[in-house]
Amino acid sequence: MNKEDRNMGEGRLPAMAPLANPYVPFQLDNPAKYEPRTALVRGTLFAGLDLPFMGMVNKQEQPVTPTTQLQVISFAIQELALYLDTHQNDKEAFELYTQMQCLYEEAKKEFENQNGPMNHFSVNNNKTYKWLNDPWPWEYAKNKEV
Amino acid sequence: MFIYDKKLQYPVKIDKPNPKLASIIISQYGGPDGELGASLRYLSQRYSMPFDEQKGLLTDIGTEELGHLEMVGAIIHQLTRNLKDSQIEDSAFAPYFVDHTAGVYPTAASGFPFSAASMAVKGDPIADLTEDLAAEQKARVTYDNILRLSDDPDVNNVIKFLRQREINHFQRFGESLQLLREKLNQKNVYYMNPAIDI
Repeated sequence: MNKEDRNMGEGRLPAMAPLANPYVPFQLDNPAKYEPRTALVRGTLFAGLDLPFMGMVNKQEQPVTPTTQLQVISFAIQELALYLDTHQNDKEAFELYTQMQCLYEEAKKEFENQNGPMNHFSVNNNKTYKWLNDPWPWEYAKNKEV
Repeated sequence: MFIYDKKLQYPVKIDKPNPKLASIIISQYGGPDGELGASLRYLSQRYSMPFDEQKGLLTDIGTEELGHLEMVGAIIHQLTRNLKDSQIEDSAFAPYFVDHTAGVYPTAASGFPFSAASMAVKGDPIADLTEDLAAEQKARVTYDNILRLSDDPDVNNVIKFLRQREINHFQRFGESLQLLREKLNQKNVYYMNPAIDI
């Protein structure tokens, strides 16, 4: 299937559906996907599911930093995981999921070089205990100081 | 088990405190259609799912909802940083402040504290997945309503992200319900409860 033919927002319903059941159209295999960085901003990897409220499209590009890069890769993996949970035989999606997992390792390393350990299981390259050091994710440095 | 990653799913960086807005958004922390209820609902419903597709999806979405709970907590925290007394006195935030100061407490915007009565675990896969479809729609509308009431772009970008996730989750729950049905008696999917009868 070439890119132009890819499903943008259509789905498949059962041909003969039992009565008294709720149905959501099944997203077709190999749906159109955003680039991972756009996907994070829009909140979905899949163009066909991008359904903003009253035209309020999120266009806030995130600065390219080790943190946002890790968020971008993690989000692509999360979206592909949910998609694969209901489309486990979509080979292209599985391939992309595998590629993203490889990129994740690199992104995590860059993130930790800047921010310290991401979790307690990160390989420790520091001489001292860095877990307690800033930044904590829910704080924003700009409004932290009193 | 769960492991904490020291990062948010999507960045939360709010420049301007706004206690009035915090008093509305707190509903998505501990309100009837909030992220705490969502994570508990899915992570609890998964035990009675008979098939792998639903076990996996409920685990994955339930875990993501915990990440959303953290994002909403971050919004509340950043909206209530460094408040002046006058900002508290003059705002709808005062009733919350008197009980919780600038702490993050799971409550509805109406003041009703988090209640497990706002979610359900019926122990029947079709009933539970149908509840999940409705839950995603209700959370989506709550985010719509927050977008109507807020004009802070730093906040709204995060809210738009969270709202979009509800739509994606709705889609996946609908698909998962279809995958479940395909494994049941096609003449009568209500013939028995697959959680306990197979």
